[in-house]
Amino acid sequence: MSGDDCDALDRGDSDGQKSDKMFTLKKWNAVAMWSWDVECDTCAICRVQVMDACLRCQGESKKDSYGKQDCVVVWGECNHSFHFCCMSLWVKQNNRCPLCQQEWSIQRMGK
Amino acid sequence: MSGVAKTAVSVEEGGNQCRKRSLHTNDQCNNKRSKSDEMSANEKKSNFSMLTSNSNGTVMMMAKPGASAKKLVIKNFKSKPNLPENYQETTWSKLREAVIAIQTSKAIAYSLEELYQAVENMCSHKMASQLYVNLTNLVEAHVKANIEQFLSESMDRQVFLKRMDDCWRAHCRQMIMIRSIFLYLDRTYVLQNPSIHSIWDMGLDLFRHHIAMNTLVQTRTVDGLLLLIEKERGGDAVDISLLKSLLRMLSDLQIYQDAFEQKFLLATERLYAAEGQRLMRELPVPQYLAHVEKRLREENERLLHYLDHSTKWQLIHTVERQLLSEHLSGILSKGLEALMDGPRLSDLSTLYSLFSRVKDGLNELCNHFNAYIKKKGRTIVIEPERDKSMVAELLDFKEQLDHVVSACFQRNERFTYSVREAFEHFINQRQNKPAELIAKFVDVKLRAGNKEATEEELERLLDKIMVLFRFIHGKDVFEAFYKKDLAKRLLVGKSASVDAEKSMLSKLKQECGGGFTCKLEGMFKDMELSKDINITYKQHLAGSGSTGAGSGLELSVHVLTSGFWPTYAVAEARLPGALAAHQDHFAKFYLAKHSGRKLQWQHTLGHCVLRAHFAQGNKELQVSLFQALVLLLFNDGDNLSFEEIKANTNIEAGELRRTLQSLACGKARVLGKWPRGREVQDADTFAFNNDFTNKLFRIKINQIQMKETSEEQKATEERVFQDRQYQIDAAIVRVMKMRKALSHNLLISELYNQLKFPVKPADLKKRIESLMDRDYMERDRDNPNQYNYVA
Ligand SMILES: [Zn+2]
Ligand SMILES: [Zn+2]
Ligand SMILES: [Zn+2]
Repeated sequence: MSGDDCDALDRGDSDGQKSDKMFTLKKWNAVAMWSWDVECDTCAICRVQVMDACLRCQGESKKDSYGKQDCVVVWGECNHSFHFCCMSLWVKQNNRCPLCQQEWSIQRMGK
Repeated sequence: MSGVAKTAVSVEEGGNQCRKRSLHTNDQCNNKRSKSDEMSANEKKSNFSMLTSNSNGTVMMMAKPGASAKKLVIKNFKSKPNLPENYQETTWSKLREAVIAIQTSKAIAYSLEELYQAVENMCSHKMASQLYVNLTNLVEAHVKANIEQFLSESMDRQVFLKRMDDCWRAHCRQMIMIRSIFLYLDRTYVLQNPSIHSIWDMGLDLFRHHIAMNTLVQTRTVDGLLLLIEKERGGDAVDISLLKSLLRMLSDLQIYQDAFEQKFLLATERLYAAEGQRLMRELPVPQYLAHVEKRLREENERLLHYLDHSTKWQLIHTVERQLLSEHLSGILSKGLEALMDGPRLSDLSTLYSLFSRVKDGLNELCNHFNAYIKKKGRTIVIEPERDKSMVAELLDFKEQLDHVVSACFQRNERFTYSVREAFEHFINQRQNKPAELIAKFVDVKLRAGNKEATEEELERLLDKIMVLFRFIHGKDVFEAFYKKDLAKRLLVGKSASVDAEKSMLSKLKQECGGGFTCKLEGMFKDMELSKDINITYKQHLAGSGSTGAGSGLELSVHVLTSGFWPTYAVAEARLPGALAAHQDHFAKFYLAKHSGRKLQWQHTLGHCVLRAHFAQGNKELQVSLFQALVLLLFNDGDNLSFEEIKANTNIEAGELRRTLQSLACGKARVLGKWPRGREVQDADTFAFNNDFTNKLFRIKINQIQMKETSEEQKATEERVFQDRQYQIDAAIVRVMKMRKALSHNLLISELYNQLKFPVKPADLKKRIESLMDRDYMERDRDNPNQYNYVA
């Protein structure tokens, strides 16, 4: 363990506000991680994690690609999810969900 | 001047055209070498003596400027005057008398003009051939008589050489005078009979035959000369002009090479072979090199002062061979390391310039140089105790080597390349660690508070670091550690300068391509997007009249894309109602804007500003979320046990212990702990420290960090290796998509170009098989060595 000291940042005037509470929370800087709300985090078609662009999109290696907008996730009515790119190619041959064989229809798209 | 003399002049000019010879000033001493001296030695043995600088009255024989070779007509005798009886005998005896006077250094009883006329007359009356024979006999008799003085049993070498020199000089002097008297003979009879030697050459020939080629005399002369040279090489002062004169004699007699040069070179070789062996043992390398330089300088001076120039190449070559070539690797293995460690720049320059003189010298130097770098570099990289200073040492080492190459090795490309090759070799001898430490080194430099460098200095430093980075095989290991540190800088707002961050990023991109940096760029993008989201969120709150939890609490959220950022362990914590409400409010707002997403809160990364009310006044505390959660509990109860705090916050025990320690045992003790002590025990109780004082208003209470454990490090490394599989797959698909069809070997070599980490061919093969299973590509039906892309 290390570094248990305090950094003095600057001098400030004490504000005269009186409060019955010892501590008042003024500011909270929180951190959250977002990911696709999927049951399985791997796309069954390309076997790449859905948070990453699908293999074909990675292959494009677009210089200024920030990934997701280009290669979003799509959910079927069966609630199975895949890369939209992967699914678009898949349904050209077989309009069924590769996982449950239900007829494929889009429930929602990632945004 | 008579018409006849004029004719003679014309003839001489013509004669010079067809029998160009080198001319020596053989009278007095040979004080200056003319260019023609160096003319090829295979010209016919013959020497004209110098006419121009004679001091003995033969100036009239000089060629007249403006006399043209075209007038070359030998005027024939107008009429034959009648000769007195015995003319030939009396005239010859007059001439004979004169020659003997010259040979014995006596005064000549006749005027030179008279003698010259006598010769001309004899020639005009067809007595030339007899005259030549008589003269030859006379000279031969004299030369023969001279041998005696050199044959005595014992004679001091020095005296011998002196006497030989005197004899030679006398011979030259005499022959010059004789020739000037017999000049007409030289220019008519000799010229018309190619097989006849000129008078000067006849003299040389006789001297050579009767004196110089005498085995005993020659041996004594040459050995004496060699001894003198040996003495001079040993540092003694010797009679240089004697050496020079006698060596000149050997050259003039055309026996320099056969009689002297071979023996001389052999002696040189022996001397320096022994000296090289001995001094290599006795002297440290710098002194040895200085000695070799000195020897080469001296031998070059010897060439200037007395040796014949034709010996130059062989002589210098012999010295170089014995003192350098024979000891190349000896010198290097004995001395290079110390010279480099110094670095002793001037000695290294000497080393380079000497080694560049001999065959394979630079090759050997370069090989040892390379081995030195690898050996020393390995010690920097391989020992864990030196990890702290590894990168700084590597930078210094590289700079030092570059300096040596440019200052001492004339920026020789081969050496520049060798430095790179050696660095790449040794830096990868230790897996992962150098990459990790380089990343950390950059972090320290890019972190705020690093005031030691200006923007330009920082930029230059980053460039140097990129040079090291280039050598690293596992570039993705670097990326993983770099990313972890970058995340910290961005989230805590600790980055020194956005420009420097962007600059480093573009350097990485330039080096490794966009695929390598796209996630790092994504992190910067997340920071910008978060800023926008927080602005819209604030507007949303203002518009809806809601303040989230209605507490005056200001919430801002960094929403990060998982996958771009390092993976953080999810830490549980129970938020007070107000905070939980605020957090939910934000989540609803966010997810409404981005369908299909979910949010995972990273409480370990959150931090807060708390207003605290102490007896001595209000303070503003900058704390982590966990610290805040603990402190907020004291609003509702004063004495809290560790267990109570744990139950109320739901923070994991270890984490909570560290949190309490920072609040109650650090420098800013806003809580009191009972019993006192630096460690937090399960039975401890805590209370608000109302008497807390600090001269500052705003106080940052640092969270106690768990030291990065080796397990964490291993985890980072493992993630890197897992990620490699995806990288390989992506690269294969990328290549195949572009090329459509490709042979196995071409595909493999393309992949090696693209991948930024070391892989084995077998691994690549496995990934290819897997991609064929997944129908990204297929084996060609006709050619099993070829793959086709499947769209
Ligand atoms: Zn996919
Ligand atoms: Zn895609
Ligand atoms: Zn399904």
